[in-house]
Amino acid sequence: MTGSLKKMKTETALIAVCAADLVAFAALKVSPGFFAGIIGILALVMTGYLPVKLQAKLGSLAVLTLVFTLGFASKASGDIFFIGLIGILVVLIRTDRAPVWTKVLIGAAILLASIPFAGFKDTFLFELAIQIGIFAAMAMGLNVVVGMAGLLDMGYTAFFAIGAYTWGIFGSPQAHSFMAGHFPLNGNLMFLFMGLAVLATALTGIIIGLPALRLRGDYLAIVTLGLGEVIRVLANNMDHPVNITNGPQGITPVSRPDIGWFRSALSAIGVPLDARTDYQLFFYFLVLLVIGIVIVVNINLGKSKFGRAWVAIREDEIAARSMGIPMIKTKLYAFATGAAFSGAMGVIFAAQRTFVSPETFTMLQSTTILGMVVLGGMGSIEGAILGAASLTILNIDLLKGFSEYLNELKQGGTVIFGYHLSSLPSQLDPAKYERLVFGLVIIFMMIFRPTGLLPERRRKAEEAEDDDDIPEITETGKGGQS
Amino acid sequence: MSGYAVEVKNLTKRFGGLIAVNEVSMSVKPGEIFSVIGPNGAGKTTFFNLLTGINKPDSGNLLLDGRDVVGLAPEQVAARGVGRTFQNIRLFGAMTVLENVLVGRYVHIRTPYPSALARTPGCRREEKKAAERSLELLDYMGIASRAGELARNLSYGEQRRLEIARALALDPRLLLLDEPAAGMNPQETEELKKLIRALRTDMDLTVVLIEHDMSMVMSISDRIVVLQFGSVIAEGLPAEIRANTKVIEAYLGSGAAAGGGAASSDPATTESRAAAGNGATGEHHA
Ligand SMILES: Nc1ncnc2c1ncn2[C@@H]1O[C@H](COP(=O)(O)OP(=O)(O)OP(=O)(O)O)[C@@H](O)[C@H]1O
Ligand SMILES: [Mg+2]
Repeated sequence: MTGSLKKMKTETALIAVCAADLVAFAALKVSPGFFAGIIGILALVMTGYLPVKLQAKLGSLAVLTLVFTLGFASKASGDIFFIGLIGILVVLIRTDRAPVWTKVLIGAAILLASIPFAGFKDTFLFELAIQIGIFAAMAMGLNVVVGMAGLLDMGYTAFFAIGAYTWGIFGSPQAHSFMAGHFPLNGNLMFLFMGLAVLATALTGIIIGLPALRLRGDYLAIVTLGLGEVIRVLANNMDHPVNITNGPQGITPVSRPDIGWFRSALSAIGVPLDARTDYQLFFYFLVLLVIGIVIVVNINLGKSKFGRAWVAIREDEIAARSMGIPMIKTKLYAFATGAAFSGAMGVIFAAQRTFVSPETFTMLQSTTILGMVVLGGMGSIEGAILGAASLTILNIDLLKGFSEYLNELKQGGTVIFGYHLSSLPSQLDPAKYERLVFGLVIIFMMIFRPTGLLPERRRKAEEAEDDDDIPEITETGKGGQS
Repeated sequence: MSGYAVEVKNLTKRFGGLIAVNEVSMSVKPGEIFSVIGPNGAGKTTFFNLLTGINKPDSGNLLLDGRDVVGLAPEQVAARGVGRTFQNIRLFGAMTVLENVLVGRYVHIRTPYPSALARTPGCRREEKKAAERSLELLDYMGIASRAGELARNLSYGEQRRLEIARALALDPRLLLLDEPAAGMNPQETEELKKLIRALRTDMDLTVVLIEHDMSMVMSISDRIVVLQFGSVIAEGLPAEIRANTKVIEAYLGSGAAAGGGAASSDPATTESRAAAGNGATGEHHA
């Protein structure tokens, strides 16, 4: 009795917050819609954590999707709504009981309508979404290596660099400087080069993995760390005696595929594109597509004998080998697969930026991707995506946004508690504290939630379907593990 | 040519100054239930580790089904049809019971990597076949109802059964069991005994068993070999071993420093784990 009463109360509260949000949004539309966003996020957190009925949960997710999307139309900066949309996706993924069609519907609304809409309003959000997508795909690749197979790869960005340079060199006039031919290659060949990069990076992974994977834990970490640096240094120095990488200046312009068909297709359905957004939208969809493929491949592998072999080796190498699992071969598969994902994303990265330079592929980059996997939860696919979203937003949006805000205040001559902000030393610029904040986030995670934001749930074989009717058991049985 | 399932000649393994297995020779016939017994630290587990390629012998010969396996990696030995369990249970705790057995099916699932990536119909077929066989084995071991549970949530007895099911998933010709009854109550031990006998006939197996429970060893074994300080001190039928004075001495500890307070009965009734020998508690694995 009291239980159901309590439940009713929480549902009422949830609906009230959603309603309040709509009202707040309507009222505040002219002034910063920021508050609407904050209330929306609050409602989202409640939706995520409160034990409410499925219908209420889905209803509130749908309303919030609408609210956040409308938010982009307001004058407020769109970041908070963007974060809200990502949050909705996360809650959606974690709502096991939701029928698939509702998930697909809300998910598609967000990914195919809301975010492009946001991008048209503010191209920076396109950039943000594409970056998140690229990093999410890489985090999922690294998740195979570190999360599933338990191999600590600290130089993952090396493969990203190889992919990026594969297209960067041949998709620009750069290749002229060391070979004859017609360069830059046609931009449409980018798709072919994605395949080539997959092969090239997988092969590199095998060549490096063959000796390195015989080492255990810490040693492997050191070797891969070194590899990451070697690739960066090579990219930096291979401008002489033969100019292959153009050294520290980097390579530009890198060609992009021809998207005439994409423009006309979209204008046919009533979405005219201008020169500012056409490529952004194209790359956004391309990244979505690739992520879709990466997710499917990840799930397939997890359910195959190879996925099981990785987890077995991670759990107990001796027992795994005693069951006939060839150790080196299995580790090589994991290493090469992760490398291939990274390589494919490198090609997209080069084309989207139209620019490749060594300074993108630093050790910090490798550790950031590793941080995404750890933050999200090792071995968990949705965790890798969430980790990528969180850290990317933190790095290229929140901290930089905060810096800009502070700068505005400084220039405006703002005084806080008698302190002139304009005399704030530039060393205290928040954007310079990316590493510090990143480190703190990881430290707090390790203390308070060492299994990550969305820990890996080992599938419950047959029962998965039956579970839908008995939510409580599903929650404790699946979520409570590890 | 030899016709033996296992044939070992002058097998020696040293760990630094310690000779864990010392010039051991023995042979096991196909279809036998063969027991290896001996005080703690006698080298029994090390002997298994040598058979399965986890440790490399310093000298000696090792033939399985007449083929030399010295120098093979553990996975290669396993692929030749040798399944084993571990003294200190080594399951994959984060995986379900069914997945644990599926890992044991690894060598029998014929899925090339690309078709696993795309989960082709062929891959699904193989997975389905493997899952059916695995459930069959779980059923055989009486834990089919636990298939979806995480292995680490099973009771001790169930974990021991799961380890056997996983080893059987290899479709082995030789099954090595390292103290399968350890930690079991008398009733569970009784069931285990029946099970091992049934296994031999149902699955056409040769079983080599390390066990401290003397009543079990004496009733189930066709032949027994006794190790002490890494050397074979006796070999024969259960009745011969029961009457062997060297064995009785080894178990009473009169030949070594420790074990003075042990029971005054013969090995057949001596409680398991009568401490003797060099006092080491062999939980070591490479
Ligand atoms: N990897 C290793 N490194 C060093 N010493 C080892 C190793 N493995 C085993 N030993 C030593 O070899 C000897 C034999 O150990 P083993 O585990 O084979 O004994 P056991 O007969 O199985 O004993 P128990 O009945 O206690 O299981 C012991 O003294 C042990 O300490
Ligand atoms: Mg032992």
